[in-house]
Amino acid sequence: MGWRWFHQWGSPRLFYERAGRWQLVCGWLALILLVAGSLWGLGFAPVDYQQGNSYRIIYLHVPVAFLAQAMYAAMAVCAVVLFVWKMKLADVAMQAIAVMGFAFTALALISGAVWGKPTWGTYWVWDARLTSMLILAFLYLGVIGLRAAIQDPDQAGKACGILVLVGVVNLPIIKYSVEWWNTLHQPASLKLTEKPAMPASMWVPLLVNILGYYIAAAYLVLGSMRAIVLERERRATWVKELVGRA
Amino acid sequence: MSIEKRMLARELKLIAARPGDIFKPMWFLILVISMVPLALAPDSDLLAEIGSAMIWVATLLALLLNTEHLFQSDFSDGVLEQWLFLDRPLAWLVGLKLVAHWLFHVLPLILITPIAGLMLSVPTEVLIALLITLFVATPALTCFSGLGAALTLGSSRSGILGVLVMMPLFVPVVILAAGVLIRATDGSDTLPLLALLGAFSVVAATLVPIAVSAAIRLNIGGSN
Repeated sequence: MGWRWFHQWGSPRLFYERAGRWQLVCGWLALILLVAGSLWGLGFAPVDYQQGNSYRIIYLHVPVAFLAQAMYAAMAVCAVVLFVWKMKLADVAMQAIAVMGFAFTALALISGAVWGKPTWGTYWVWDARLTSMLILAFLYLGVIGLRAAIQDPDQAGKACGILVLVGVVNLPIIKYSVEWWNTLHQPASLKLTEKPAMPASMWVPLLVNILGYYIAAAYLVLGSMRAIVLERERRATWVKELVGRA
Repeated sequence: MSIEKRMLARELKLIAARPGDIFKPMWFLILVISMVPLALAPDSDLLAEIGSAMIWVATLLALLLNTEHLFQSDFSDGVLEQWLFLDRPLAWLVGLKLVAHWLFHVLPLILITPIAGLMLSVPTEVLIALLITLFVATPALTCFSGLGAALTLGSSRSGILGVLVMMPLFVPVVILAAGVLIRATDGSDTLPLLALLGAFSVVAATLVPIAVSAAIRLNIGGSN
């Protein structure tokens, strides 16, 4: 089979059709997981002895915050693919992920603020994790703004790629410097290396929701990638036929 | 004369042609600092407490605004295109341009900060620490804002986009510099933080010119 599977990614039309099928799978899977995880987490998981019911926002906040960070890494991978293999689809993915990543970061900040009010008594504190989330939001905005400012899509994509790569090198430095600057936040609630401090009845639905949100993010990114492909290929015959049929 | 010497000579000639360019950022800095007591209170204790942080932020803004169009005139009159034909790596030439920019545009800005310090009655030992942090940190800041300038070269309607895009990357520099200033106020050891700040500058000065040259190549390739 060799490199054929790889070169097929160069065809926007093939991607459009395949991504449509994957999107369907992702959509249903995400729906099932999110309904199950959220019902379980919001309705059946035990009440926290300190925070009462307000802790239940973690079933939204934690997955969204994970995604906010993971999407920047995904964007950096796309930038590398764009520069190494000159694959235009990677640029499409970068454009889609930047917008979704910003949306998830904003959602994490907002849900964190809503959670902060009953727990800390204030919507916003200048704590390390909140601050680095805010900086992350600005980094996403920069990528979106840079693309919007440059007209030629190829050029815009490469400029964004450079910015994303510089950003991903800086991100750990930013994170650790902000952490050093101020740490009063409660320690991370889920760590990969340690057993979580929560009982299983609390963290299992969280895990289901995290998986659900990841797949939902894939659904959203695929959908927006398909829209971008259609827009960029609007002069191609297959797009005209497709739009004509619809 | 080597290419390097000729480049520096050209920068000097450009400055001699428009000396006003050096003064504008200094003017901006002093103007912003004059606004602080007006907005806060003429109470010198209060001013001394926030003074060094205010001066740092104001210098940062002055530097950013000053570097925003770093490559614009060289881009529009074709000098950047000529760089591609020289027998030197583009990143090296970019590095030289950044060094020249630091020497002729950023250094004057640093040298005027003691006056801003006097205006806000910042204590002498903190003022010295402020000057040292600016010396150590501005190379990194200059490199990153140069990258912002290079990335937005091709877009005519970018406005202050380069500044907005690069500002989040300054977070570690600002935090470390603030740490030095806090320690200087306490009278404790500032050397470890200064070393970190210096390390950041050295790494930025080595790697960022490569990214800048990629951004320039991209814009020149795109316009043809």
